[in-house]
Amino acid sequence: MNRSSLVLYVFFLLLCSIAAAAGMALCQNQFLFSPGHESITAAFSQFKGTIVGDWNHYGRLFIEWQPALFRAIFFWTIIGLPLVFLIHFIAIGPKDFSHERGEVFYFSSFTRLVHWVAAIFFSLLVLTGLAVVFGKTFGGGSLIRSLRYVHVVSALVFTVDAAVLFLIWVRDMFPAPYDVKWLLILGGYLSKAKRPVPAGRFNAGQKAWFWLSTIGGGFMAWTGYQMFSFGVEAEALRLAAIIHNFLGAALVGFFIIHLYMSLFAIKGSLRSMITGFKPREEVEIMHSRYKIH
Amino acid sequence: MARMKFLCDVERCINCNGCVIACKQGNNIPVGINRRRVVAINEGRPGERSVSISCMHCSDAPCIAVCPVKAIYQREDGIVLVNKDICIGCGYCFMACPFGAPQFPSGQVFGARGAMDKCTFCAGGPVETFSEKERKLYGQNRIAEGKPPLCAAMCSTKALLAGDADVISDIYRKRAFQRGGGAGAWGWDKAYKGR
Repeated sequence: MNRSSLVLYVFFLLLCSIAAAAGMALCQNQFLFSPGHESITAAFSQFKGTIVGDWNHYGRLFIEWQPALFRAIFFWTIIGLPLVFLIHFIAIGPKDFSHERGEVFYFSSFTRLVHWVAAIFFSLLVLTGLAVVFGKTFGGGSLIRSLRYVHVVSALVFTVDAAVLFLIWVRDMFPAPYDVKWLLILGGYLSKAKRPVPAGRFNAGQKAWFWLSTIGGGFMAWTGYQMFSFGVEAEALRLAAIIHNFLGAALVGFFIIHLYMSLFAIKGSLRSMITGFKPREEVEIMHSRYKIH
Repeated sequence: MARMKFLCDVERCINCNGCVIACKQGNNIPVGINRRRVVAINEGRPGERSVSISCMHCSDAPCIAVCPVKAIYQREDGIVLVNKDICIGCGYCFMACPFGAPQFPSGQVFGARGAMDKCTFCAGGPVETFSEKERKLYGQNRIAEGKPPLCAAMCSTKALLAGDADVISDIYRKRAFQRGGGAGAWGWDKAYKGR
């Protein structure tokens, strides 16, 4: 081997080692991408934010509550409340007011019309909503799917109608100090004695039902629209589904209470929403703070 | 019994979207629905990576848990399927899924969603195998034909693997060995912090 080729050889080696060192430096700075450089777990976890997002937030709550809790709440609402009322009906019984001392005009024909439209479509909402909640029991399929569409159409009608009902009744629905007293004696429904009950044109229970069904109904419409249209992020959808279920159970509960009060708790009280008149005695006892004119 | 799994090798995926097209064409998926999608991070920058995502066929699938009508079920080999005759299109499965796998066709009554559609692992659906109804509702049944799913079968770099979990993880483990992690192999940064 001659001298010049040896120099060339050493120079080549030097060049190689500089290149290798540079390459390693680049790799360590993550400037160049080197396959297999990082752990498999780390490689996959980089995608987590993009793919899974913040599922951990409401997604977790949703899959924890939807399989059992929501159905349990609905089940005990539609089984438990009627049971309580059955006991009340047997143990205490309905109130009876005489019509002898005349009647008081309570609901105008327009109010009654708006109320009955709301009543029909709210009942549809409750029934079809429960059909979806307990869809497993009915086997799902086209029956429940059609009921889901009925739910959507009823919601559209009810939302408009409830807004009118809200405007008609809102001025009589603001809380008053005596509402606390009404709540403390549970509206006087625990006895058949005819002691005047502290309530205005509407009692505290009716006021609660009013606010829940109009403002709460608005929330139901809003969350329901999101769940129907899928127009928002998945995370907002999960929150909407959670709100829709809890609020829905509360509304079903108050719906059952309203049914019992209007159909059974006071004899003939359904008539006031048909004819518009309440017995004078009933108004004096059950709505003692209401000034009859 | 074999447990079916997807595994996407992020070192091999080149973001070509071939899997998405293969699935869509081979299964006659309507416009607006992708049973599979490719997610890329750091696009155009060093460390760009992509991964192909569809239904993960979870062992404890949240979609099955939240379905109000029990339309979703899991086969013995782990494949999660939906019964489109039972599904009411409520969308709860979409809310429960961390991967956004459930898809919904639109344009039904009042724009209401139809039955949920998702990756079937090319295993058809709960109707008669190879029937016209199965092909129309769920797509091909390649598992019954003894073939891998379309997406994995056509993957040009073989990044997307599909099949028995034991076989898949074996292939992946061999690849990881051959690529050679050296000092970057799994465990090094845990055992020797900061070196």
